Amino acid sequence: MADYNKPIPVPDPYVNGPYWAGAKEGKFMLPRCTSCNHAHFYPRLLCPICGARTIVWEEASGEGYLHTFAVQHRAFGAWGEETPFVTAYIDLKEGDRVFTVLRGVDPNQPEEIFKKIGALCKVEFEEANDEVSIPYWRLVG
Amino acid sequence: MSNPSKRAAIVAAAEADKIGYLETPKTDFMLGIEAISNVCKAAGISPKDIEGIANPGNANAYAEYLGIVPKWVDTTAVGGCSYQIHAAHMLAAINAGMFDIGVIVHGEAGYSRRNYPRGGQPQRGGDPLGPDAQFMTPYGIAGAPSNYSHAMTRHMYQYGNTKEDYAKIAVSTREWATLNPRAIMHSKETHPAGGPISVEDVLNSRIISWPLNLLDVCLVADHGGAVIVASERVAKSFPTPPVWIAGAGEAIGHATMLEMKDFTKTSAAYSGKRAYAMAGMGPEDMEMAMIYDSFTITVAITAEVLGLAKPGEGHTLFDPGKSNPGGSFPINTNGGGLSFNHSGMYGMQLLIESYRQLSGTAEDGVNGLPGKQTNAKSLVVNGTGGSLSATGTLVLTADE
Repeated sequence: MADYNKPIPVPDPYVNGPYWAGAKEGKFMLPRCTSCNHAHFYPRLLCPICGARTIVWEEASGEGYLHTFAVQHRAFGAWGEETPFVTAYIDLKEGDRVFTVLRGVDPNQPEEIFKKIGALCKVEFEEANDEVSIPYWRLVG
Repeated sequence: MSNPSKRAAIVAAAEADKIGYLETPKTDFMLGIEAISNVCKAAGISPKDIEGIANPGNANAYAEYLGIVPKWVDTTAVGGCSYQIHAAHMLAAINAGMFDIGVIVHGEAGYSRRNYPRGGQPQRGGDPLGPDAQFMTPYGIAGAPSNYSHAMTRHMYQYGNTKEDYAKIAVSTREWATLNPRAIMHSKETHPAGGPISVEDVLNSRIISWPLNLLDVCLVADHGGAVIVASERVAKSFPTPPVWIAGAGEAIGHATMLEMKDFTKTSAAYSGKRAYAMAGMGPEDMEMAMIYDSFTITVAITAEVLGLAKPGEGHTLFDPGKSNPGGSFPINTNGGGLSFNHSGMYGMQLLIESYRQLSGTAEDGVNGLPGKQTNAKSLVVNGTGGSLSATGTLVLTADE
């Protein structure tokens, strides 16, 4: 944990609070609007689907599908020392999408990852410091 | 509500004294001031004649520096397409009778600012609680290439395209650059890697963010540019011919790519439709196109949503004999952001070349700068800003 050297987000005490609090406990939390019943990401004060301010937080499945990816051969700071690495967008089972560094794939075989578009991915968490754990997604399908 | 189509025209276009990789670093602002000075000279007016001023975020400083009190200002700053949107707003304001002569100005020391950290404008700090800082930056995202590559992967997946398909875009665009001495990649004289390239060269260039290779990615250089927009009433009183703003549209799809619902389409689907509707024209009426080419994928997607090609087939416009010099449908005749000059917000370079082509001044140049003239009398020009986020589309026409 002490050697986590990647950018660590400042936990937002307002809108994003439950997301980061959940991650610290190993839970993938998502906001859902009780007016239209849709989950959304990134978390908002207002529901981006219907505009209502009736947001509740719920633990989500932590599962989704690989929507698209890229292999980063150039990056800055601590990530610059880890190139090449794979970044990806994951379609959540509950709807909407997250961005992540994708684990369980070989960055030197992009054509193989390409064949996995649509495959199942699961979230896991890495402790970055005493306050923050960061969700990472792993290709499992 | 009156249709503003052709109630205003671009009547002059110019660039800063020098553009490209400047040996003596300049600031954003100085590049813009040079361009205003040069465009006023080209238009035969004094900076004091400017009544309306548009710039992404900094119109007040430009007005003050010129010692003018404008009647109208626009500081729309939505990335590289801001200048297309400025033109759209000027058209509306001129149609409403608010002013007759306006300038859109761009100054951006994309290259100089690397070598001159105190020059230019400070980098934006960003919102530490915003979606980028909270949900993107922790995962090593490193600027535009690292974002756009995800769209290219999805586009390839959805339409069964290969990296070779997109590489054709860079090849055709480079061919145009070889005809433009101001282009950074014009020749071995202007850049060690300049001159013609092949599909194999693109595929063999350094990988940046798979599937994007170096030659799929735009330059980052210094540029200043400005255009004069004038009302129909005065548009024919300038030394160079008017190029009419026949149609204009703007749209925002998202800000962060987290919110890009369909990675294979941009909001140009909407801004383009609005521009065509205002002009009473369609993609089949266009004789050439100027398409923001931050990356090869940007061009493929944009050509498709503008109706110039079927979904997934934007790259076919770049088969030999179509988009390239002498081809049936010229695209990016200045050599593009890929091979001419891209400073960060490339929309002004698009506007300048659009004016040069339709005004018939491409070979004598609007600032004493030669280029390659086409026979086009109409074109669609589309800017894309942010992370495939915002778009501004103009349909421009020349008098027959």
